[in-house]
Amino acid sequence: MIPYERTRQQTIPNSAVKIIGVGGAGANMLDRIALDGMEGAELLACNTDVRTLTSSVAPEKIQLGRNLTRGLGSGGDPALGNQAAQEAELEIRDALRDRKIIFICVGLGGGTGSGAAPLIAQLARDEGAFTVVFATTPFNFEGARRREQAENALAELSTLANALITFDNTRMGELVLAKQGVHEAFSAADRMVSESIRAVTRIVMRPGLVNIGLDDLMAALSSPKSRCLFGSGIAHGENRAQQALKNALVSPLLDRGSLLNDTDTVLVHVCGGEDMTLYELELLMRGLSKHVPETAQILFGTSVDPAMAESLSVTLVSSLPEDRLRADFSKSASAKKAETFNDKDTGKSESSEEALPENVGSLAETTDPVSNGEVGVDNGSSAESGQDSSFVEQEVEHEEDKITVEASEDEAQFEVVEEESRSAAGSNVRIRVKELPKSEEQDRESLKIVPDEEPASISGEDLASAFVEAVPSLEETGQSLDLEDEDAFFAETGPAGGPAPIKVESLEEIQASAKAKRPQGELALDGGPKGKFEGEDPNLIEGEDLDIPPFLRKKK
Amino acid sequence: MGKPRIHVGLEIGTTKTVMVVAEVKPDGSVKILGLGETSSAGVRKGEIVDYPQIRACVKAALLKAEDLSDVDISSVFLSVTGPHIEGLNNRGTYRLPEGEPEIRPRHVEEVKEIASDIAIPSEHVYLHSLIRHYAVDGQPHATMPTGLMGRKLDAEFHIVHGVRTRVQNSIKCAREIPLDVDDVVFAPIASAQVVLERKWKEAGALVLDIGGGTTDYVLYVDGAILASGCIPVGGDHVTNDIHLVTHLPLSKAEQVKKTEGCASGDPEKSEGIVTVPDEGGFPDVELKRQILNDVIRMRFQETLELVKERLPQDGLVRVGKGVFLTGGSSQMAGLGELAQDVFGLPVYKPESPEVSGVHAYIKDPQYSTALGLIRYAQILEEERPNSTAFSKASGFLRSLWPFGG
Repeated sequence: MIPYERTRQQTIPNSAVKIIGVGGAGANMLDRIALDGMEGAELLACNTDVRTLTSSVAPEKIQLGRNLTRGLGSGGDPALGNQAAQEAELEIRDALRDRKIIFICVGLGGGTGSGAAPLIAQLARDEGAFTVVFATTPFNFEGARRREQAENALAELSTLANALITFDNTRMGELVLAKQGVHEAFSAADRMVSESIRAVTRIVMRPGLVNIGLDDLMAALSSPKSRCLFGSGIAHGENRAQQALKNALVSPLLDRGSLLNDTDTVLVHVCGGEDMTLYELELLMRGLSKHVPETAQILFGTSVDPAMAESLSVTLVSSLPEDRLRADFSKSASAKKAETFNDKDTGKSESSEEALPENVGSLAETTDPVSNGEVGVDNGSSAESGQDSSFVEQEVEHEEDKITVEASEDEAQFEVVEEESRSAAGSNVRIRVKELPKSEEQDRESLKIVPDEEPASISGEDLASAFVEAVPSLEETGQSLDLEDEDAFFAETGPAGGPAPIKVESLEEIQASAKAKRPQGELALDGGPKGKFEGEDPNLIEGEDLDIPPFLRKKK
Repeated sequence: MGKPRIHVGLEIGTTKTVMVVAEVKPDGSVKILGLGETSSAGVRKGEIVDYPQIRACVKAALLKAEDLSDVDISSVFLSVTGPHIEGLNNRGTYRLPEGEPEIRPRHVEEVKEIASDIAIPSEHVYLHSLIRHYAVDGQPHATMPTGLMGRKLDAEFHIVHGVRTRVQNSIKCAREIPLDVDDVVFAPIASAQVVLERKWKEAGALVLDIGGGTTDYVLYVDGAILASGCIPVGGDHVTNDIHLVTHLPLSKAEQVKKTEGCASGDPEKSEGIVTVPDEGGFPDVELKRQILNDVIRMRFQETLELVKERLPQDGLVRVGKGVFLTGGSSQMAGLGELAQDVFGLPVYKPESPEVSGVHAYIKDPQYSTALGLIRYAQILEEERPNSTAFSKASGFLRSLWPFGG
């Protein structure tokens, strides 16, 4: 394996993530995170109350207000909590140094959480970290005073943190069935926070086929004075794409998807095992497009993670300006400071457009055979497979070119990219949603991974560049028929000549395995006439439409 | 209950709308005074889809029933069905307060409340909460446990719930006629009151009400309901299947289904060809009996298997009597054999009535739900005096009746 550096985008080593639980509720969330297993990230518990602090499973602990409260809690007084945190400021600062992302988990309303969290967020920002705050607001029955304290703290946090994600404890009841125990309700809430953190880290740390970085995340959260909408869903088995999306949309933080209706920017990240298909992505994005306005910018990212095995996860991140939130949601606000990447990206996208046709060949190779070839583009992960080793330096350069394409997609230059790539490739791209340029990337990738029944046709429509068309034709005609063409194709493109044979082999392999894995054509849901029940909702029980004669169904 | 009472049952079915008027005599015997029937329009799979049409149907049925029975109908018992309706079991436990070892009616009320307090989806509404068993200190008691000494009182309930708005549609339909609705009853529970005798309920029996649009089931074990539900498949589907497979027009398909079809799977019955005559002078259509019977059998087999899957694990084992078929589609030839194959239990099929006239109705499986409503009303009437005060009775009714006065 020839290692090579990929430093064009921010790469985030695991150790750069720190999760801090502040106060009693924060400690609970932290414990949940620790119990669920969070590889790589460091966990730090901060509390005034020594008793809960010692019972925390976090490896790192800082006692706040050692002299001030003497190991007791802050008694629900944020001023005291704040002073206590100030006392430990140096300690905290040391703990936060050189971290890239800092998650702060806090339950607002009490003393320690409401008082110390803003200070810790401030310190985190001072240390240059991307700061994400997960805050819970108190139950309604806890009274106006605690709610007020929570809101004050939220107002502070919203200006301090890069992203503020809040969860209203009053809505905890939605997480569990009415008859489930109270501890289950609380642990469900903690689990939700822990899953959210995991999802955010998955987005920014996992290498993506279509990568999403911190910059995208910030773009999604860019509107000032806004509340972060967040939904994450995971599912496996049949229909997992729809199910995962559904799970993501039912998140209380999204209010079952209805809050998405008003948003301007949505970040969608799909992570799946190696058998994730393009078709699933298509379905998923189509399902999502029903929930977001047509004008919304969709930042699409996807990655393949073998650890996901059979399951597929969807993460939605968006923000909604506070004034658009309904009254009962307007508990919090967060100001997102989006740095503008526009300038440099515009330049890049232009250059990459020019470069595109010329680099077609090499691009095809980098993308074609090895799914992981591109995987590492942004994050320089260790996920490179064996085939990567054959990549020569030249190719890396081409890959760099490609990165610029991706980078260009990060920002609002979508239309530009789209228009240009259309004209460049001379094929007709349907513009449905703006994620198309990215899904092209995706298309190409998943084509290699597991060609579903449809990718050929889909790619025919959707893929803009000429080089991709070579692949569908391969798909259609079988494993080896076009390989000669492919060779020729590779030969034409100078720099890639060397590694080409290996590519062909791997192509063959992958296609063979894909062939093996490809499921038999399945009966579409509304397959065939339904007679007098035509036009009605499918009468679905256990995946079968009962309106279609069993005689016809079972015969197939 | 000195005076004879008149009860009216209204079933808004997928195929037909039936209104039965009956007199319940002081000795408990039921006399049918009249029955108004129209074919339904605007009902699909047991649920109202075209409101004005079905209202006209109900109106027509009402007029016929009033004509025949010479009774002014002002209120009805209404049956509802649809795949949204589900039955489930819940157990409530109440520990008697210190110093009160004897179970009193208010303790029973308390445990009933606890047992009915079950999380149903917020858009759902309770249709029935029917007591299955009481248990005192873990010992089962089928009857009211008041007066017994104990520490802990358990109640097991069978709770039927459905989507509020859909149930309200049926009620609204009756209200606008205008008719008062005395109670809303889940259709198979009503049917079972006619089909099953008390001792069969005790022995354990499964009632399958196979109608035009739905197949409703209710499973009685030890005299109480263990499971109930609805599968949105009925006789219409069979007709539609024949239509889709053979391309016969729907009216012909219906006719062929009734006269020629057989669900038994007996190869002897599948020999030869069915000729469907054409009145218009076009050539007759010929149809292989094998195909026709296969289409019918596969549909019914699938439906019965869906029912079987939904029953609780040990449900069928505890059925001592057998499977009772009722509903219009239960007249399908060979269905008894098929049901026996699927459930492995004795199957009781209603015989078609030989005599005509009002008394024939009681035997006709098509009317079992409507007649069952009368029986249900009668049972409710009998139970009512058991309550200590009238206010309690109306309170109990109100718990069944969540739609306000």
